Amino acid sequence: MTDLATTPRPRRSSGLLAFLIRRSPLAVLLVGVFLVAAIFGPWLAPHSMTDTNLTVALQPPSATYWLGTDPLGRDVLSRLLGSAQVAAQAFLIVVLIGGIFGTALGLVAGGLGGILDLVVSRLVEVLQGFPTILVAIVIVALFDPSLTNAMIAVGLAAIPDFARVSRSVAIQLRDREFIQAARGLGAGELRILWSEVLPNMVGPLIVIASFDGAQAVLWEASLSFLGMGVQSPAPSFGSMLREAQGYLAIQPSFAIIVGIAVSGVILGLNLLGDAISDYLDRGGK
Amino acid sequence: MVKYLFGRVLGGVVTLFLVTALAFFATAFAPGNPASVLLGNMATPERIEAITRQLGLDQPLPVRYGIWLRETLLGNLGTSNVSFKPVNDLLLAAAFPTVQLALASLVVAVVIAIPLGLILAQNRNSWWSRPASGLITLGISVPGFWVGLMLIVLFSVTLKILPSGGYTPPSKDLWLNIRSLILPVATLAIYLIPSVVRFVRVTAISVLREDYVDTARAKGTAPAAILLRHVAPNTLVTTITYIGLQLGVLISGAVVVELIFSIPGLGRLGLNAVLNRDYPVVQGVVLLAATGYVAVNLLIDLAYALIDPRVRAR
Repeated sequence: MTDLATTPRPRRSSGLLAFLIRRSPLAVLLVGVFLVAAIFGPWLAPHSMTDTNLTVALQPPSATYWLGTDPLGRDVLSRLLGSAQVAAQAFLIVVLIGGIFGTALGLVAGGLGGILDLVVSRLVEVLQGFPTILVAIVIVALFDPSLTNAMIAVGLAAIPDFARVSRSVAIQLRDREFIQAARGLGAGELRILWSEVLPNMVGPLIVIASFDGAQAVLWEASLSFLGMGVQSPAPSFGSMLREAQGYLAIQPSFAIIVGIAVSGVILGLNLLGDAISDYLDRGGK
Repeated sequence: MVKYLFGRVLGGVVTLFLVTALAFFATAFAPGNPASVLLGNMATPERIEAITRQLGLDQPLPVRYGIWLRETLLGNLGTSNVSFKPVNDLLLAAAFPTVQLALASLVVAVVIAIPLGLILAQNRNSWWSRPASGLITLGISVPGFWVGLMLIVLFSVTLKILPSGGYTPPSKDLWLNIRSLILPVATLAIYLIPSVVRFVRVTAISVLREDYVDTARAKGTAPAAILLRHVAPNTLVTTITYIGLQLGVLISGAVVVELIFSIPGLGRLGLNAVLNRDYPVVQGVVLLAATGYVAVNLLIDLAYALIDPRVRAR
């Protein structure tokens, strides 16, 4: 992102998709599979996600159970499809919290400047890098371990990222001609921020959403692994790996398969962020 | 420099204030009246009221926060709801393994990541530069705790050369202590390395574009000498700050690693406290970890000011 301010509004999305397929086919493939699994998972699942059957516990991949079974005899593939849906929920919660609060803070701070900017920048500086796990521990201790509560902590941690980017774009745009023109026409500062500045930072914000979305999936897995997120019997990448840990010596393929699946989702989102960032750097060409 | 340091200390104080507020709320809004929890089955309405007044629980929240803050600053963190041991003792016992794990991992990660990042920057136009960047992205994407599980499969289950968990204090047996920490430290270091390598690479590439590097090159200085004498020092200064920012990642990672390898550290203490709703311990762990985080970041800022003359002059 060399020059955020010259970034034009995103063109037709078909141009972006064509660019992404050329630039990073792996990202498109991984994110595509993730989205299909998250949206259509319940219909695609060959077996039940939660029904246990101890007679087929911990089986290796086979014709009936393509990716094997877990310690309670549940189909791993079906539970991975369910996990994808949970990961997508984690993504949405984190990006919504970080995106709405972070962007609003950064927009107002960068656009209006002055003492407000000073306070917001300091706050962002202070919060950036603060151990997410500590916030998660307090929230989960106060309320219950659940996906939403765990992801609120991660969403709070995403606020500084969105605030930083939107602030820097707002500062770059503040004195550009079209903003001054709007000001000359009598538009209020907040209205200018909303209808002139905000649409021009959609690109960089999508890049941050992609990276923080990858973090959200990673954190969902970590916190559920720790028992602070999704609770069994509901499937999630983290709770499956938690179940797998006790059986590393007996059936390591269970842990290996789940790990590859969650890594694939995170890798796809990270690569997608890189590729979209490239697209914006080249002015959408 | 005074102004710079003043700003940093102020930032640290603000963080700590937010953290104490957070930790306070963890108990103030915890379900269940502490007075009735304390009294257990001896609770009568009169006794609960007496204890409530004695603990200051009938006061408005800001006053309660003040009372709580005074007790905390005096080092009175209360007793565990579960084991009934003083929180101070629990924290003290758990702090050593965590500090040992975190420090060792940080040193290993930095020693590997910084040279790697510099080499990648130096060879940014070679054919293996792109696959190497791909590998870094892969490293950032793979969950650290899964790497830990895979290391257990490889070294404990298959090769049977390292323990899959447990912790021996160094005072008891130094060799066993080191053996018990190899896999946890490797897990945490592998978790940190990719992002540090990426940062060092990007920073070093921008340093390589500076005029003084061109001048050195024009004078005929060997590329390796340029890298060591001009690029490395200027890269390191920024990298120190970045590592300060990674401290939160290190703390979060340590919690997960302690759980996987059953290390009796702060992370496991805090985690068990959360799941048992042992609020005084939750509070103690959060306070201690956050204070450590703020203190180390302040030290890093101080080091930064001492190393970089441009900051010193401010």
